[in-house]
Amino acid sequence: MSKGFSRQLAVLVAAAAMAASIPANAADPIKIGVPLAQSPPGSVVQGVQVKDGLEIVKDMVNKQGGVNGQQITLIYEDDQGIPEKGRAAVEKLITRDKVVAIVGPHQSSNCLAEIEVAKRYDIPYVNTNCWSDDIRKKGYKQVFNPANYNSRVAFAMAETLSGLGVKRVVAFCENTDYGIGQAKAVAEALKKKSPNVEYHFETLDRTSKDFTPAIVPLRSNPPDAVLMMMLPPAAYIVMNQLYEQGVAPSDKTWLYDGAGLGDYPDFWQNVKEAGKNLIEFGLYHPNMGVPKLGQEVGKTYQEKTKHEPNRLIYQAADSLLLVVEAIKNAKSTKPDAIIKALESMQFSGVRGSFKFSEEPGVSYHQWVDIPYVTYQFTEVGEPVSKTTLVQGPNLPLSVDKLKKAK
Amino acid sequence: MLNVDLFVNGLIVGVLYALMAVGLTLIFGILKVVNFAHGEFYMLGSYAYTLGAAALGISPWLALPLAPVVGGVVGLVTERLLMRPLYSGYSSWGFLKDEYAVVVTFAFSILLVNLVDKVVGPYPVLGPALVDVSRFRAGPIMLSGQKALATVIGVAVIVALAFAVRSTAWGRRIQAVAQNRLGASLAGIDPARVSMTVFGAAGALAALAGALLAPIINASPDVGAFPAVKSYVIVVLGGMGSMTGSILASLVLGVLESFGAVYISYGYRDTFGLVILVLVLLVRPQGFFGEQGRVV
Repeated sequence: MSKGFSRQLAVLVAAAAMAASIPANAADPIKIGVPLAQSPPGSVVQGVQVKDGLEIVKDMVNKQGGVNGQQITLIYEDDQGIPEKGRAAVEKLITRDKVVAIVGPHQSSNCLAEIEVAKRYDIPYVNTNCWSDDIRKKGYKQVFNPANYNSRVAFAMAETLSGLGVKRVVAFCENTDYGIGQAKAVAEALKKKSPNVEYHFETLDRTSKDFTPAIVPLRSNPPDAVLMMMLPPAAYIVMNQLYEQGVAPSDKTWLYDGAGLGDYPDFWQNVKEAGKNLIEFGLYHPNMGVPKLGQEVGKTYQEKTKHEPNRLIYQAADSLLLVVEAIKNAKSTKPDAIIKALESMQFSGVRGSFKFSEEPGVSYHQWVDIPYVTYQFTEVGEPVSKTTLVQGPNLPLSVDKLKKAK
Repeated sequence: MLNVDLFVNGLIVGVLYALMAVGLTLIFGILKVVNFAHGEFYMLGSYAYTLGAAALGISPWLALPLAPVVGGVVGLVTERLLMRPLYSGYSSWGFLKDEYAVVVTFAFSILLVNLVDKVVGPYPVLGPALVDVSRFRAGPIMLSGQKALATVIGVAVIVALAFAVRSTAWGRRIQAVAQNRLGASLAGIDPARVSMTVFGAAGALAALAGALLAPIINASPDVGAFPAVKSYVIVVLGGMGSMTGSILASLVLGVLESFGAVYISYGYRDTFGLVILVLVLLVRPQGFFGEQGRVV
């Protein structure tokens, strides 16, 4: 071995020893896993908006110095809206990427699969937009739900339908945990609120493209209201075909959406006249008032994308802020410490202040009184900010503001 | 009245299925393989029409030919680059041919869906209507102007294609290659050229279907999956390689799904075609109008 080579080897060994002696967590970023749909057949539209909301908050937090001196890194996995892929994605995020928490899931069927993994590894899982009541009913301490839930929507829809005095209601729901769950929840809510209402729901395949056979029979015997519990693109096709067949919205039949479609950026481009007179359950309306932090997030989103912000942006923002706040409170990135902090803290986010409920059942680890709005589009292309708000936080329901189609 | 409504709607859907399926039938007739990327030709046509009209700021009628042009070009390129190895100087492919076709066209399908998703974006887009009639009543049925027009154009294209395949020199070359590739080449017909033309025509037809339906079924990266699955069922039902069979099977399937969804169950709508498929395969495996070949 030559002298020169020995010297080089010694330098290398010394460098390696120095590197090994540096504490591993000195400036390591905090890794947070995000499983969401980035390709079909998942709802990529939702995935994109959730990602937008998360990125805005990540940049805000990192600009302010991160969390306890550490920057946040978001690690994305594409679950394609397929539960098995979601399960594999979360497994990979936890075991290989060593994330300290999961945020961002937005489709109920995926959530139901993924929370099993989070439970197994005892990793906090913040449900950004999965509405199925079953997720809450499981009672997993790792799972936190700042998102809306089907029972909340059902309550709101039953209240509105009761106010409208409808007698016969038909619902179209997609064949997923969210869709079928919401349809059943509405059935339960209507039984309590208006037991005389005749209610029937039809499950539609979300991958199908022609729903005319389900719609045509309603022409000869139109119901008083048609409810929709579906996501795009199938939801848009159903709306267009309901309009084409003259079923809803019409002078006889209300069209009422329970999925919050109205604030999607591509809504009007895809439904045109079919969206006029649509009654919408929503989780955000510019007139409902949001805290200063929410206004900041909304403004940043509008500057970046030229679109009005919507509830998915705010839900995503709150999901990440919850984890950030929990880490700050716990002064630790250990998953069990984050879980304890999430359970006990009073959180003030972009949509308001709340504490997670400990009541078992549908309220478990849920923001129970999550604010919602009911509004109606009265013109084609109408932005949400210009719609008629008929119900909101501090605004009791006034059904007389709703107008039937002519 | 409901039954008339369902029957007419079923026929309309059947015509649109036929527009997709005849292209696949032609491909199978020539190459004896199924193209699993066929649905993506539909998808590309849907986007070509929708985005072409928006980007170029032209009337939808002028944008409509863009779809078959794009579909045709992609079809030609697919045949030349992906399918040519099936019959051009690779003797061992004769025994792995089906597996090769499945793998390569399936992979191409996944590539196209994800490419469009990333390049164009995931948001569904509604194509511009050719006529500004959102709905009208025609007897007992309600239709949109676009649906009515798509049906009329679809029927015209299918009739023209059937005539071309039966009665023109080009059509007779296709029939010759479909019946016997070796025999056709001995007669002076270039099978590779015919195959390429057929793939191009199939791509153009599927893309045209996508364009005609874009104002009804919003274009999205995975929009081709649904018509593709229907096409595979139709091609087998009608008899693989038989255009008449495909057209008849399309109409039967459209009407069957329409009635079955209302009188049996909407939830099982997509299974009716599969049930009929299984029954037909058990009783008449060659389909309604199975292809007859000649051995040289």
